[in-house]
Amino acid sequence: MDILKTKPGIHKSRGGLIRSFVILENGKISDITISGDFFLFPEEAVFRILENLKGTPAKREELLKNIEETYAKENIQSPGTAPVDFTESIMKALEA
Amino acid sequence: MEEWRFIDFGLVDIRDMMAMDEAILKGDEGNTFFFWTPKKSIILGFFQKAQVELDLPKCKDYTITRRISGGGIAFSDDRCRQINYGVVGTIDNDLFPLDIIESYKQVCGVLIDTLVHYGLNAAFRPINDVTVDNKKISGNAQTRWEGKLLQNGTLLLDFDIEEMLRISNIPKEKFLDKKIASIREGLTWLDRELGQQRDMEEVRNVMKDKFEEHFHVKLKNGTLSKKEKELTKNLIPKYYSPEWVYR
Repeated sequence: MDILKTKPGIHKSRGGLIRSFVILENGKISDITISGDFFLFPEEAVFRILENLKGTPAKREELLKNIEETYAKENIQSPGTAPVDFTESIMKALEA
Repeated sequence: MEEWRFIDFGLVDIRDMMAMDEAILKGDEGNTFFFWTPKKSIILGFFQKAQVELDLPKCKDYTITRRISGGGIAFSDDRCRQINYGVVGTIDNDLFPLDIIESYKQVCGVLIDTLVHYGLNAAFRPINDVTVDNKKISGNAQTRWEGKLLQNGTLLLDFDIEEMLRISNIPKEKFLDKKIASIREGLTWLDRELGQQRDMEEVRNVMKDKFEEHFHVKLKNGTLSKKEKELTKNLIPKYYSPEWVYR
């Protein structure tokens, strides 16, 4: 996606800023990328989060459930940032 | 008393430094404390996109790379009045706690002791900041690998906030929750707090002494091992590559 032409959703968690860039197709996420100064271990797992979100219906509960599943599967720790924060950032991008 | 390795890398290109940083974490030389001084540069956090976080046309004379840990941009100007440190330690719940915030707090204790030495009201602000009178004076970033942690951080002796704001795209959401009107009110540096410039070598030496006291160890001058040098050589292309920096 052309990130500079996509409106970001900006949300600040206690652990940092999350800017989401989302492209929708038929009510589902077709492409998503994020930029931020949060912390997340293991770092590479962020790519799993983004990959797994593709094809997910753009609804708060669906997004949250999807991210929580990736958190559990990849043993993700992100001090000060939770799945609900990523969800909030994505929802703001969808509303932008 | 246990001896840990100490290295002062001096003035370095941050791309080479980030390669050595990762090599020390993934090497086999045990616990290590090190300093370096970056040339004019910007280090992006693992999750930051260059074209989102930076006003790239204004960054032309900066060397830009990315590190393997999260967190925000580490910006270094021509003044070179920043102490940059790294710690690699084996996670053991005593010296380097498994709990992420506790381990930040432990390493940041060295910075706090250093600032208290200069009579300042320093404190740890979770998750990863050290403050003086609630203003950030040090930012820190940590990652972990096979039972070890790597923490990098800076102690600001001087800082050009206006230049940082000129080259970066920091949205208002970043500081709204900190109850400050702008990022200008949320940062400080040693020269300002003390009303005078301290010799950087002197501050670094205080920090080294405080590190030894804090961890009850003796720091012994060392260099990179053969394996670490080999690792560094293999990692350098990554830190110079647009695929890594501008991904």
